[in-house]
Amino acid sequence: MPELDQRPKVTVEDLLRLKRAERPAPEFWSNFERELRQKQLTALLEKRPWWQEIPQFLARRAYLPVGATAILAFTLVSVKYYTPAPLAQVDAPPAGSPVSVDREAAALVAPVTSPLVNRSESSAEETLVASAAPVSAQASPEPIELMPLLVAPRAEETPSARLLAANLARLEQSDADFGDNALSTRLSAPVREQAVALATEELASVPTHSARRNRLLAQYGGRQLNPEPAPPAVVRERLARRLGDAEVSDRSNRLARDMDSFSTPMPQIVALRF
Amino acid sequence: MNLSKVFTKAIISSPERQQEADADFAVVKQVQAGDVAAFDKLILKYRERVFGVVYNLTANREDASDLTQDAFIKAFQSINRFQGHCSFFTWLYRIAVNTTLSHLRKNRLRSFFSLEKLHEDGTNAEVLEQLTDKKGADRDTYLQELKEKLNEALQKLSIPHRTVITLFEIDGLSHSEIAEVMGCSEGTVRSRLHYAKQFLQGELGKYLRS
Repeated sequence: MPELDQRPKVTVEDLLRLKRAERPAPEFWSNFERELRQKQLTALLEKRPWWQEIPQFLARRAYLPVGATAILAFTLVSVKYYTPAPLAQVDAPPAGSPVSVDREAAALVAPVTSPLVNRSESSAEETLVASAAPVSAQASPEPIELMPLLVAPRAEETPSARLLAANLARLEQSDADFGDNALSTRLSAPVREQAVALATEELASVPTHSARRNRLLAQYGGRQLNPEPAPPAVVRERLARRLGDAEVSDRSNRLARDMDSFSTPMPQIVALRF
Repeated sequence: MNLSKVFTKAIISSPERQQEADADFAVVKQVQAGDVAAFDKLILKYRERVFGVVYNLTANREDASDLTQDAFIKAFQSINRFQGHCSFFTWLYRIAVNTTLSHLRKNRLRSFFSLEKLHEDGTNAEVLEQLTDKKGADRDTYLQELKEKLNEALQKLSIPHRTVITLFEIDGLSHSEIAEVMGCSEGTVRSRLHYAKQFLQGELGKYLRS
């Protein structure tokens, strides 16, 4: 086979290159294009299965949960770093200056943490002691300058604070007695004694004629000497009404009689007791 | 797109390939903007190459025609998801190869040849001259036999090996492009290529001369 040896060598690559020559005829492409056009139109018209829409749906709708999460995170951060408005700085009066009882009471009531309550009470305090001592109710501007976005607006500028102050003023005007007594629970000893005397006078004026009433009155009067705070006027009035009720006294007398009749079968106990 | 892919693309892709990819991406942008007719340019540009890949994988012209059309339809339906991370040509090849591999796996037992005519032109005339000194009817018979043996040997290869050798030797893709199309490493591509050539040498030894 000398002829075969003289021929140039043929490799796998050469054979595979022949595969490039396997091409369709030109008319094949016209048919191909027509079929492809039909398939393209069908694909445009036919509705794709729902599971093929999921990735696109998620890609589109991913913005919604991200936005909601961002809003939620912003809200949480805002609530966490919310700083209440600073309390109004009230200058202390100079030592030895006359301070009224009302100012003392307001000073005792003052340490409540809510900024709205603080603002309303400080406004009430201003109305109460405006003439007694010089008050500088201007808040310190430093926190607002340092954190202009995080500091809450001044409570006196909000409608709720104004409403609270108005309600407090109305309450004081309508029921001055109740207000005084409520404040007297936190007042000093002379004021509390004054309130006790007033309550005792009211109880004494109730028209009842019972020994039990006298005893309860004496107990009540004795308890007033204790440092416990006096009950409010409404409670005292209700108590006096009950004490003055003849029916209640009759019931108590009947109960005492029943107790006596119950104790008669056991004279030895009574004897031992006495 | 991760940094290594960008670096690899920048190193390997030739300026011509880069220009081609940029031109394709401009057309894709038009299609994404709603100019559906612009997709025809891409079909006309790539239909023969895509058909060649699918035909060499299936060795059946009817199946290759259908699968090529399916690949273009899938590319058209998913064109909005193409973001230019790779060239359109690579992306389209990946769709075509995946469609074909899916078809081959489904119809593993049903395969028969339906081969195209071998066109003799300037590029392969020299090889044909080297292969045979026969003339006339003998030459045609010889070439038909060679074509069938070649396709038979290719079909004996496993699908991944067949894909690699088709893309490298017939379509002229680089190792990195084949790796990107097939979703494997370049080392795997080289390994499969080496094994496939060894196998074909054993199968086509009758026609080879060393």
